[in-house]
Amino acid sequence: MLGALVILALHAVLYFFFWWFRREHVGIPVLFALLSAAMLYGVGRMLVGWYNVLFIAQPAWIAPSPAAVTAIFITATPGEPAAMFDETLAAAACITSPHTTYLLDDTRDPEIARIAERHGAVRLELIGLPGAKAGKINAALALTNEEFILVLDPDHVPHPEFLERVLGQFHDEGIGFVQVAQAYGNSERSFVAGAAAEQTYAFYGPTLQGMYGLGTSVVIGANGTFRRSALASIGGHGLGLAEDLITAIRLHAAGWRSVYVPEIVSYGRVPEDLGSFAQQQLKWSRGVWEMLLTEYPRAFSRLTPLQRLSYFMIGTYYAFGLTTAIYLAIPLLYLSFGWLPASVGPAEYLQHAAPLGLFGIFIYLFSERFLCDPTRERGFHLRGFLLKLGLWPVYLKGTLLAFLRIDVPYIATAKEARTGSFWRLARVQLIGITATLGLAANMIHERLYQLPESHVRLTTGVAWGMLSFALIHAAFASSVIYAAWRATRVKPRQAEGMTVR
Amino acid sequence: MTRRRVEIAALFLGWFLALGFISRALFTASSSITYTRISSALHSVGRDASAVEGNMVRRARGGARRDRLKELFPNLHDPAALKNPAGLLWGAFDGGFPQSMEGFADLEQQMETTFPLVSLYQAWGDLPENQFPTSMMETIAEIGSIPIISWEPWVTTFDREVRTNLAPVERREFGSLAAIARGDYDFHIVRWAEEAAAYKKPFFIRFAHEMNDPYRYPWGPQNGNRAEDFIAAWRHVHLLFEKKGAANAIWVWSPHLSMPWLEYYYPGPDVVDWIGFGVLNYGTVASWSRWWNVDDMLERPYVPLSSFKKPMMITEFGTLPTGGDPRAWITGARVAFESRYPEVHAIVLYNQTHDDTLGGGALNWSPLAMPGTVQLLSAWMASARIR
Repeated sequence: MLGALVILALHAVLYFFFWWFRREHVGIPVLFALLSAAMLYGVGRMLVGWYNVLFIAQPAWIAPSPAAVTAIFITATPGEPAAMFDETLAAAACITSPHTTYLLDDTRDPEIARIAERHGAVRLELIGLPGAKAGKINAALALTNEEFILVLDPDHVPHPEFLERVLGQFHDEGIGFVQVAQAYGNSERSFVAGAAAEQTYAFYGPTLQGMYGLGTSVVIGANGTFRRSALASIGGHGLGLAEDLITAIRLHAAGWRSVYVPEIVSYGRVPEDLGSFAQQQLKWSRGVWEMLLTEYPRAFSRLTPLQRLSYFMIGTYYAFGLTTAIYLAIPLLYLSFGWLPASVGPAEYLQHAAPLGLFGIFIYLFSERFLCDPTRERGFHLRGFLLKLGLWPVYLKGTLLAFLRIDVPYIATAKEARTGSFWRLARVQLIGITATLGLAANMIHERLYQLPESHVRLTTGVAWGMLSFALIHAAFASSVIYAAWRATRVKPRQAEGMTVR
Repeated sequence: MTRRRVEIAALFLGWFLALGFISRALFTASSSITYTRISSALHSVGRDASAVEGNMVRRARGGARRDRLKELFPNLHDPAALKNPAGLLWGAFDGGFPQSMEGFADLEQQMETTFPLVSLYQAWGDLPENQFPTSMMETIAEIGSIPIISWEPWVTTFDREVRTNLAPVERREFGSLAAIARGDYDFHIVRWAEEAAAYKKPFFIRFAHEMNDPYRYPWGPQNGNRAEDFIAAWRHVHLLFEKKGAANAIWVWSPHLSMPWLEYYYPGPDVVDWIGFGVLNYGTVASWSRWWNVDDMLERPYVPLSSFKKPMMITEFGTLPTGGDPRAWITGARVAFESRYPEVHAIVLYNQTHDDTLGGGALNWSPLAMPGTVQLLSAWMASARIR
């Protein structure tokens, strides 16, 4: 069924592009090229995504060997709330498989030390090490000797059977690392939290399962479990903004294989306010590009062809900041200068693009049965989609910073950033909406009073079409403004629990 | 492992092809249905939007172009009056058509006139731009004018994979008029006629113009198209329009003046409403051309043409500046038409700034490029309006 859908969708792609790329459709060549590139990027991702869902697979559960011992690494950084460690360390203590919990701590906070002691965690004082987690992890590796390492995020509360579900996969001596699904306990607490969670559903559902089927699943986000000898073979955990991805690509390049277990064995937290979310997304986009630009070329020759494709797709994910900017610029350029990228009738466009769009939606909805928690996660994920498009300036900035090799500037954590942040968070969107409304008013004035009547009559369709296109973008942008406004008005109910990693 | 891969690839390819046939059939079958559905829905939405916007513009500016035209030519949209015209109707073609009306609007503004007629050209073919130009036609009607379409039977662009009844492209132009008369191109004519009927408002149609000129278009005599083939094709097309209810079409038979025996191409009084021809002075730009005045071109053929007792239209009117004085040419033309050619009831300015049909550099026919001609033409048009 899915296969048939994908094949039909392929034909829809051909149907669209054979029609789109015609000489007589070219308006202003540069704009046509940009728009076509943006569309090819989008459709290219869809194609790889469709290929990926065809190979969805789930590993069978294997009973772990009783002798398997795990070191659980939890990092603590100054500024993180003690209550969070209390909760996470308590849960880690309840994990059933044999393990030792290590708190990799540079807080110098006696309260954290007391909490660690209360829950029987070994506190390793590791101060002044590079990277978010990687420096501490590598130092801790030297101080411990368990065969398996679980790197647990401090804001993820593990279930007791976490290791039980994972460790059996290591019976295969070639498996270097295992990733588990992620789920969030706070996704309904704000618009931003809901959107942030929705953006991850498809990835931790069908996407990673397909990647497992193709031998390309990665560690990403949090809660990866590693074989010590695998980490040792690449000289320890990778350093950088996307440390987990760098580690994954190095392990794959070293010949280790990976497993993705699509089970929810912990609950974490997503950012609840826009400032934290934007900061997190900026770091991710910067970090993921960095993986592509620096780590990918080094690993390229040692990866399998599918891994090459997969890391390329991950690495270029945040280019949608750029493509969204292109889509946004097109109606504004028309409203400003009357430039059109393509001369295509609206009926024709709908006729040729509709099959592609419909099959895209069908496949998305159809593959939703592979979500990790279908009853909770099913849907069109509209909030996630809106915020993703609305936050294009963040992703574009991350892209530019990566290409210019500029580090992400320090921005205060959510708690400090909240005051007076409305303008800073939403300025691009506010400027965009103001410009759109100004251009719209100008267009209406020109059409009513200045342009020749015959020209007005002939261009009704394209002019108002472009105007509505611009207004749709403004609607996306207003989702960001709404979230920014909420960030100033409503106190995040547990802001103390949020840090930006 | 490799064998399994080959199997998977073969399986995929098989399914790809099998479903490809089905989806192709589905897309093409549904596409023509969805296309007509979507496009007619969008057109009606577009028409409504255009009407709403037009009313807003009219209110904002205290009047519209079509109000002015209505004042000047109260009977303009009456089909009976259009077939039996009294005065002189002016019109214009602009090289920016059909994408843009800006050049046309500029011409009107500079000439301080409002053209009752607007002329455009359309080739036959499979592409959307070859279908009945609804948006352009509606625009012209909305601004109060009457469109003239020169409908050109170019036959080589039809896709043979879809139109399996057609001859291969390289042999298709030979005897194309006989093929039209046989009904080979009814698929195109019928669809076009249906949309023309749906348009409802009167318009001039000029099918296969200059059919008697062997140096011009592929439907000329050089491709084995005889006069009787042209007449049969014309009558066949006319019949299809009648059958589809496109009685709003006003038929302009358009021979080329310079070729002898043009009267043999006349399809008959029952299927012709107007006689049209170009009066274009190429000056000395080509080896075959001289500085020809209106009389040089029209005096001789006017005798047989006027015997048909139909109103006449100068479907392309203009001069180039090369080899003479365009102001003198226009002054002479006005005298000629006002004194010697009473059957001429319409003149269409050929406002083409980039005419490259001759090869060897584009020709600029626009009066706006010839100092002094605009005033002469404006004065002439203003006097025609008073009559």
